[in-house]
Amino acid sequence: MTSRERVLTAMRRQEPDRPPFDLSFGFSTAWLDAFRARTGAEDPYDYFEADTRMVWPGATRLATDFSRYLGPLPPGTVVDEWGLAHVPTSSTESDHAHLEGYRHPMARLSSDTDAAEYPLPDIDADYRYEPVRAEIEALHRRGLAAMAMLECTIFERAWYLRSMERLLLDFTDGSAFATTLLDRITARRMVQAQQYARCGADVIAYGDDVGTQRGLLMSVPMWRAWLKPRLARTIAAAREVRPDVLAFYHSDGDVAAIIPDLIEIGIDILNPVQPECMDPAALKRAYGNRLSFWGTIGTQSTLPFGSPDDVRREVRSRIESVGAGGGLFLAPTHVIEPEVPLENIVAFVEAVKGGGR
Amino acid sequence: MNAESTASLIAVLRQAVLDGQAPAAAAATERALAAGVPPRTLVDGALIPAMDEAGRLFESGEFFVPELLVAARALKASQALITPLLAGSAVASAGRVAIGTVKGDMHDIGKNLVVALLQGGGFDVIDLGADVPPERFVAAVTTDRADIVGLSALLTTTMLQMRTTVQAIEQAGVRGAVKVMVGGAPVTQRFADEIGADGFADNAAAAVVLARRLMGRPA
Repeated sequence: MTSRERVLTAMRRQEPDRPPFDLSFGFSTAWLDAFRARTGAEDPYDYFEADTRMVWPGATRLATDFSRYLGPLPPGTVVDEWGLAHVPTSSTESDHAHLEGYRHPMARLSSDTDAAEYPLPDIDADYRYEPVRAEIEALHRRGLAAMAMLECTIFERAWYLRSMERLLLDFTDGSAFATTLLDRITARRMVQAQQYARCGADVIAYGDDVGTQRGLLMSVPMWRAWLKPRLARTIAAAREVRPDVLAFYHSDGDVAAIIPDLIEIGIDILNPVQPECMDPAALKRAYGNRLSFWGTIGTQSTLPFGSPDDVRREVRSRIESVGAGGGLFLAPTHVIEPEVPLENIVAFVEAVKGGGR
Repeated sequence: MNAESTASLIAVLRQAVLDGQAPAAAAATERALAAGVPPRTLVDGALIPAMDEAGRLFESGEFFVPELLVAARALKASQALITPLLAGSAVASAGRVAIGTVKGDMHDIGKNLVVALLQGGGFDVIDLGADVPPERFVAAVTTDRADIVGLSALLTTTMLQMRTTVQAIEQAGVRGAVKVMVGGAPVTQRFADEIGADGFADNAAAAVVLARRLMGRPA
């Protein structure tokens, strides 16, 4: 089986030759430096022969000035195309988004007009998908599966702009500001999802972190009122173009409470199924005929603090309890942090390739 | 003013805070103060019980982050009217807590919820913010005279800064003068014990209970 066949087979819940795997969403700089020094290789995905590669839209031609929304910024701050300011901290690493601070450009706005007029990026523009199409074709020629990244789909994108506390207060207050902002983001996301589908993406990776490790961040009724219908529209838009494109949904934390809703709106794959707070085997029993599971190897527990044997045991146990009949894609649950030993990643990959034996 | 009307004025304020109704909480506060209810009685009888109840509902899964945020907003609306009247009075706070997210870590939503519930619980809280270096926590003990230092982290990487911070407090020779409590997604009781913290809480409501215990008070 090629990697792509393996991914498509497993995620459509047919039995593959072995579970597909990748290395999640990237690496902290310190980890990557250590990897390169020890292996002499450049790219861990190539080195370990991961089954997928991630693709993003090409660079924007816009150069929007967000200074009137952000005010003076500390040195080293990078403003992205949405206007979110990424502020360096005492331990910022260039490729590690989890160690930087944010300055939210819409935090001080209040009127519906402000929400309607804020300059959003051209993330949906045709020219940005020309390189995506070429990249996906090249991946397919190599037998790899293409995962088109639509992360931070609606909720996270909105709170990056607004601040999480302000946005959750907006939700509670039923604010027109939040409705306008979310609708504008959703409209762009729908076109973006269609672009990816047209480019031949195998999997579209949607995601909004709505879980804490003790359950949802907000109540199920609030999620249903504000986020579910907009995510549903985005998924449906992609399916209008290509009904068979796989829909992957990422949320950290425990999101068990909304799994039936996610299935209802067309999600095929749940990620990362954080084993510190969700039970992959129980979820397989409950939803395994309708949902595939991607992730499940804990970057908060086994990978940083366990031994290579612990890692092999976790892979084996997952294949036994979740892998039957397909539906399992093994991956670290998130970015590989600096304290994850290279030996543990080697053990992870060897165990997966050996089918857990 | 009779006892029953005092009780009912307090109950209205408590409910307004719990329901997260800021304008109603402000109105209830004004009405109670105008009726002669002592400000301290409003704090002890309405605000602290309301935020304790909000914390309890959060812990039991009936409240979520937005409900806590609106309760904290309503609390602030009431406190804005009450606090000036308490200034200069010799009423002791539940304790002084200096709290922050440790060096290198910017995640502050969990920490902010703990701050809101501690303030609601009558603690004097010094919010040190996020990405707080060990020496700032030391200064919170030596200069700000904190009774408790609270350390938060979201990542396994930054969690290790908690150990560094506890060591810095030890090296400054003030470990005996302060209690250290820790929390955040990757933190466990075992890790708290390993680094010599005095306590660990796995959610914001439990952090208030822990802080009261560390102050030698019943939860």
